[in-house]
Parts: sequence; C-alpha cells; structure tokens
Amino acid sequence: MVAGLRGVALGRRLVDLLGEGKVLWRPEDLLLYEYDGAVDTAAPDAVVLPNETADVAKLARFCAEHHVPLVPRGAGTGLSGGAIPVLGGVVLSFARMNRILEIDVADLRAVVQPGLINLHLSTAVAPYGLYFVPDPSSQKACTLGGNVAENSGGPHTLAYGVTTNHVTGLEVVLSDGTVVRLGGRSWDGNGYDLVGAFVGSEGTLGIVTEITVKLTPLPEDKRTILAAFPTMDEASETVSAIIAAGIVPAAIELMDQLATEAVEAAVGAGYPLDAGGILLVEVDGVRDGLDEQRERIEAVCRARGATTVRVAQNTLERERLWAGRKGAFAAMGRLAPDYYVLDGVIPRTRLPAILRHVREVGERYGVRIANVFHAGDGNLHPLVLFDGSEGEAVLEKVKEAGFEIVAACVEAGGSLTGEHGIGMEKNCYMPIQFLKDDLAAFRRIKDAWDPLGLMNPGKVFPTPGRCREYDLRTAAAPKGGARRATAEKKKA
Amino acid sequence: MTDVLRPADAAACAAALAGAARERRTVRISGGGTKSYLGDMRPTDLTLETGALSGVVDHVPADLTITVAAGTRLADMQRALGAHGQFLPLDPPHGDAATIGGIVAAGSDGFGRLRYGGVRDQLIGTVVALADGSIAHAGGRVVKNVAGYDLNKLLIGSLGTLGAIVEATLKVLPLPEARALAVIRCDGPAAAFAIADALVRTPLRPSALVVEGAPREWNVYVGAHGPRAQVERTMRETERAADAQGTRADRSEDDGPLGPLRELPATAADGALVRAALPIGSQRSFAESLVRSDAFARFVADAGTGIVRAHLRGEDAVVVSAADTLLAGAAAVGGSARVERRAPSLRDRLSAWAGPKPGGHFLMRRIKDAFDPGGILEPGRSAVA
Repeated sequence: MVAGLRGVALGRRLVDLLGEGKVLWRPEDLLLYEYDGAVDTAAPDAVVLPNETADVAKLARFCAEHHVPLVPRGAGTGLSGGAIPVLGGVVLSFARMNRILEIDVADLRAVVQPGLINLHLSTAVAPYGLYFVPDPSSQKACTLGGNVAENSGGPHTLAYGVTTNHVTGLEVVLSDGTVVRLGGRSWDGNGYDLVGAFVGSEGTLGIVTEITVKLTPLPEDKRTILAAFPTMDEASETVSAIIAAGIVPAAIELMDQLATEAVEAAVGAGYPLDAGGILLVEVDGVRDGLDEQRERIEAVCRARGATTVRVAQNTLERERLWAGRKGAFAAMGRLAPDYYVLDGVIPRTRLPAILRHVREVGERYGVRIANVFHAGDGNLHPLVLFDGSEGEAVLEKVKEAGFEIVAACVEAGGSLTGEHGIGMEKNCYMPIQFLKDDLAAFRRIKDAWDPLGLMNPGKVFPTPGRCREYDLRTAAAPKGGARRATAEKKKA
Repeated sequence: MTDVLRPADAAACAAALAGAARERRTVRISGGGTKSYLGDMRPTDLTLETGALSGVVDHVPADLTITVAAGTRLADMQRALGAHGQFLPLDPPHGDAATIGGIVAAGSDGFGRLRYGGVRDQLIGTVVALADGSIAHAGGRVVKNVAGYDLNKLLIGSLGTLGAIVEATLKVLPLPEARALAVIRCDGPAAAFAIADALVRTPLRPSALVVEGAPREWNVYVGAHGPRAQVERTMRETERAADAQGTRADRSEDDGPLGPLRELPATAADGALVRAALPIGSQRSFAESLVRSDAFARFVADAGTGIVRAHLRGEDAVVVSAADTLLAGAAAVGGSARVERRAPSLRDRLSAWAGPKPGGHFLMRRIKDAFDPGGILEPGRSAVA
C-alpha cells in the first residue's frame, strides 16, 4: 500500500499547484470517477484535468514528492477496471487533451492528444482517403490514450492488427515527472522498442500525453456476409473452415441466439432470430477479387450447414449489420440490468469446445450467458447477465463463473485477456497464466519505468492483500496455458 | 579463445547463462551466425550457439500459428509450413541460413513488411533465458493477447542484450494464390519515388515496393501477392503509375530480381552500409542527398515503410564523412539511422550507433540493467549499452 497525501488536503494542494479549473476534489464531483465500463468501483481523492503535457509533468512531480498514486483515465469505457483508483490518489482525466495536433498525409501519420475519441480520428482523416485501423466497439466514445493503454483491438484486427501495430511514437510522462519522447514517425528505431513495451501497459508504466499513429488507405470496397447456423457448434466450426480454405477475412464475428435477441430488440439489425449462431464475415481491400472471396466464403458457410447467407447490398445495409455487432454490449440492458463481460482468448480451433464449456458453466451456476465476439481471433466475450440490485453475493457468483471460463481458456493454450486488459479485474488470476519467473520479468520492466510504484498501482500484478482469497484456487489451477497444452499433445 | 556452449534445451541455456553471470564471463549469442556484422562487436569470453535448440514445437495449421525452437532455420520453417500450404510472411536477408531467434533478436525484416507486417507484427510469443538463470515466457500462442507486458517487443532488435531467445511463436498465413513482380526503369530518384508514393496511397498493399538506385540507374520494383484478380489489378495500377512518369513497367518472370536487393546487407562487405528508418515522405530527399555524395554506390529503399539502405564505397575518410552526413540527415527529418555494416578497416572510426541516442535511452539502460545487471550479454553491441 502506498501511503502519502490524501483526501481533501490533497485536493487543496492540487488547486494551489494547478489552479481551480483543473482540479476536482469535492466528494460529489468525484462520484463520476468511481467507475468505468467494468464492475469494480473505488473513489479517487482528487481528479485533475490537464490542458497540456506541462500540467501532467507538474502533477507527476508533486505526486512523486507526496507519494500519491496516479491513475490515467480516457473515456472510462475500459472493461477491466484500468481507470479505477483502487488505492486512491489522483485520477487524470484527459477530457481536455483531445486535439488532433497534426495530420501528416505525406508520411501517413497523425499526431494526437490522448483524449481524442477513436472514431473522431478516422472521421477527420477520411477526406484524405485514410483511416485509423483499430476500431473497438466503443470507438464512438473511447479515446486513443485508452486504446494505447489497453492495446485495444476491435472486429477488424484479424487481418490488420491491434493498436500496437498502428502506433509509432509516444510522448510519455514518467511518475517522477520526466517527459520522454519515444519512437517517432518511422517504422522503427535504434535500441529497444519502448513504444512496443508501453502500448498495452495499462497505465502502469507512465502517462501518455501524445500519440503518433499510422494512417492507412481506406479499402476501396468491402463485402459483408451474414451467415446464420442452426447451432453454435456449426457456426464456430465454420470459422476454422474459412481459414482452412486459405481465406483470411478482415473480420469474423460470432453471435449466439441470446445476444441476437438483445440486439434485435435494441438495434433491429435484421439478424434472424431463429438462428443458434450467426457469423458476420467481412472481406475488404481493392475491389478486384472481392466477389470471388465472398463466393468462396458463402460456399464454405453453406457446406457447413448455414440456413441463411445474406450479403449487404450497399453501405447502409453493411452499416446496419455492423451496428448490431457494435451495439451488442449496450443492448444487453434488454436482457438484464447488469452484465459481466469476459475476454478470454483460445486458439481458434478450440472454439467449439470452449463454447460448449461456457454453456455448461452457465447452467451450473444458474446464470444466463450471451456470446458475441471476435471469432476469427479466438477472442471470446461471454457476457454473464445478472442483476446487481440482488446483492453482493450475485456479483460474487458471476465472478466465480467468469473465473472458471477464463481458467479454461488458459488451460486450452490461450490467454486471460485479448483486448480488455488485466486491470484490477484479473490481476489475481495472473498466476494461472504466468509462472513466477514470468511475473518477475514483468516486474523488472515495471520497476525500470516506475521505480516509485505510483503509476496505476493495484493493476496487472497480483496484489498480496486483495488476491489472497485467490491464492489457493490459482495454486490448484493448471499452470502455464500453452506450455501445458503442448505437453499434453506430445503425450497424446 | 572463445569457449563455445551448445545448450540442448531451454533449461541448459538458462543454466549456461547463470554460470557465465556467476563467473562474470561475457557471452555472445549466435544462431546461424549470419549477422555477426551488426552492432559494435566486442570479443566475448563465451559464445552460446542455439543450433541444438531446433525444430517445430507446435503447428496447428487452422490456428495460423507456429511455435519453433529459436535455433530453427527460417528456410526449414518455411518448408514445414509449405507442406501445409502456408508460409511465415517474413523475407529477411540471409533467408537460407538465418535462424528465427536471430531474426527476432536482430529485428531483421524484408520487403514484405508493407503488406504483411514485420517481425514486430508476426511475433506473438517468446520464451527467453535470462542472465539470472530464470526462463521467462511472454505473450503466448494466441493471435490476440494483452495479458502482461509485451516483453516480445523488447526482445525484437535487442541483439541478445536482454537474454537468449529459446522459443518463438509467430503468426503464419496461407500461401498467396498468385504472385507477380514488375520492374520500372526511371531516370532518377524523383520519378522512382513518385511511382512508389502513388502506389503506397492505395489499398493495393504491394508485397514489395522497392526503390533501387545506383549512379545513373534507378528502378522501382512492385511485387503483388494475393488473389489473382487483386494481383492483376496491382500490376495494372503499377503500369499506370509508371506511365504517369513517362516510363513503363515490365513484368518479371518471378521474384528473382528482388533477391540481390534483399541481400544487400549480406553482400555489402566493403565500405559502409547505412540503414535508416525514415518518415516515408522524406525518402526522396534522403536519396537525392545521397546521389551527391562521392561515396554513393548503391541505394535500396523499402519505399512503403521508409526503411532505406545506402552502400557507401571509397576512401575510408570519404565513406566516414558520407555516413555521418546520412546519419545526421535521417535525424534531421525525424528518423533514425545506424551503420549496419562496415569494412574491418572502419570499425574503429565508425560506430554502428554514431547517430544521436534514441529517445528514452535512459529507460533502455534501466531495462538492460534490470535484465542483465552484470552486463555479461553482448556487451557494447546494441545502441543501449
């Protein structure tokens, strides 16, 4: 536990340091910053809204001197509690640092502030025939700074990669107030790839204050295919069958009947309600050859038992199909007051088996679980539905079910998280995926960047206090994911 | 005389490093031994060869991933993948003898980077033996994974200074249905880069987009991989871009002409080879300043990514001065550069890392010290230490 200046006294000192307009410290003003897109909450002692890098550096120097934790926050859409100040301290909201600083068409780069909303960048560069590839489902709200922290993905990562594949430069403020510029506009540089190490570090290494990203020429055309299957088994087997046919689409998304029901009620995307599983497949690029790829995908879907195969005939129809997918999480409100979303990853050939397991866990715990996820990447998003007003015990039961599912993902050679991050949600589970030496290597990286331990404490690494109750279970769980999977295969 | 260690597995590799650290003996890590010209080499007490760490550990074709021991040769890996109609989309120099561990440690990329991404984009998991004798796992075998820090990225291009990579997992792809290559002769760098620039701004994603220059000879090479219709479209657009510059595109029978360009680092043994990473819009002016140098021998740009190489030849003093100019020029446009290779006579006069220190150098030092506190791994070799 980090001890230092806290409470209203901290707020007053920050007002002196940065001015009234940049600091929130009254309890009623702080309420909004207690939560993010996940299920955990904790109140900050103060919130700072910087206007520029110099404010951030000044704040960091002050916090270093007074042992105050720093928790960066974008739009608060995160799904692993990354922006929750679990040990108190200052939440840094980048709501005011939301500008596009430069659109560099010649170099295919943009330089932006961390508070910029993801979709606003693609909208701004569209007139130049360019876009920013990563498109998380929350892209209308989430910020580039948050995308960098979480190494966010989205539906179109299968062919084009995630945030880390599209960031070439960063300006970072370290926890001692040092401002450092990493990388730049070129594809690589000399020495270690610090940009690569920082992206996905969940706010635990430093505070990003400026981001240089790659811009990509917009595809000339797209083909978006909806295929409905009687069961999830057939739908999920089709995912590997498409890949086995030598096609790597830009996106392959999968949705089960429960998710479809919610989406249709909320968005009316035109998904067939009687399907057990629905695939959304998109190919894009130059126009030539797209129809041949579409035909091959349609043929694979039909051969695998698709009852309906439909192709978006125009942009409007395509956007409607995607609106259903991207609005799926929000639509869950139609089914239950609350949901707990998981983010496990498995090798995609294990999809049918893991989905059967998810169903079985749901039945055993007596909870409804909807599935809507990035099937092409093997990135599951089971949404465990519940009603938080029924009390703390319900959330505990939901988390138990979630633990079983992510542990099964790791056991199948996968990962605890594909794009939502570890945060404070899964830090206690880290020992089921990583051995002691692996965590020690991560610790070396952490200490090199943040020797003071003030950057977003209580995240990523298991914390002795909060994780004690998990120690026995993680000790009993099989270790090491992929390593174990290989060993078993060799035996077989 | 350097002692040679050939550990048979990850545990032996870690034990060897721990032993060296205890005895304060310095270690060179060697895979295929193809890139021993990289960085500032100092003699070491030991050489750890990864040759015995070899073979495919796991390959499930429909997962589009492969896990191999670090000493596996890229060529052997491609053969194993080819049997399943797949390939690893990396085409670095020394493709015949280079090992996957060496390719990762050197951050060694080829021309496919624009279309497919490079080592940075394909590598999803590593197992690395560290100087304290521990073995760390980073990433995994799944294509999307944000659990824990991305140690993979730190290892790429680390030149063995953080640990010995013992295993790697990479993304693979189905072999392309069709391939083509066009060659365009140009009258100078302006026309060549105009053609490249026209193509890089399209969604064509060429599998190679290379500008080659020599005194009085400039060429553009455009490669296409993919569905046949897409490949033909790329060739048509290439012809159009050539036409706009008053020249023409000739189809090549195969990928052959790209070979010598890709192998420039392998063959440029005399003079100096400067490798720069530039913002793509600055390549043309970089090339034009090179043309004015007396030492200019050859120029090869991966024009879609701004990774350019300049081979300098002549009197040592002329080469050194030309190299300094290029290093400074790269920094001036916001890029970076290194002396990738130089003749033995230039070793003392031209450091690999003669240019400005990279941003965050002090952080790199801290990371190096955290992983190798005794400084036994590849001392002096990288830009970090």
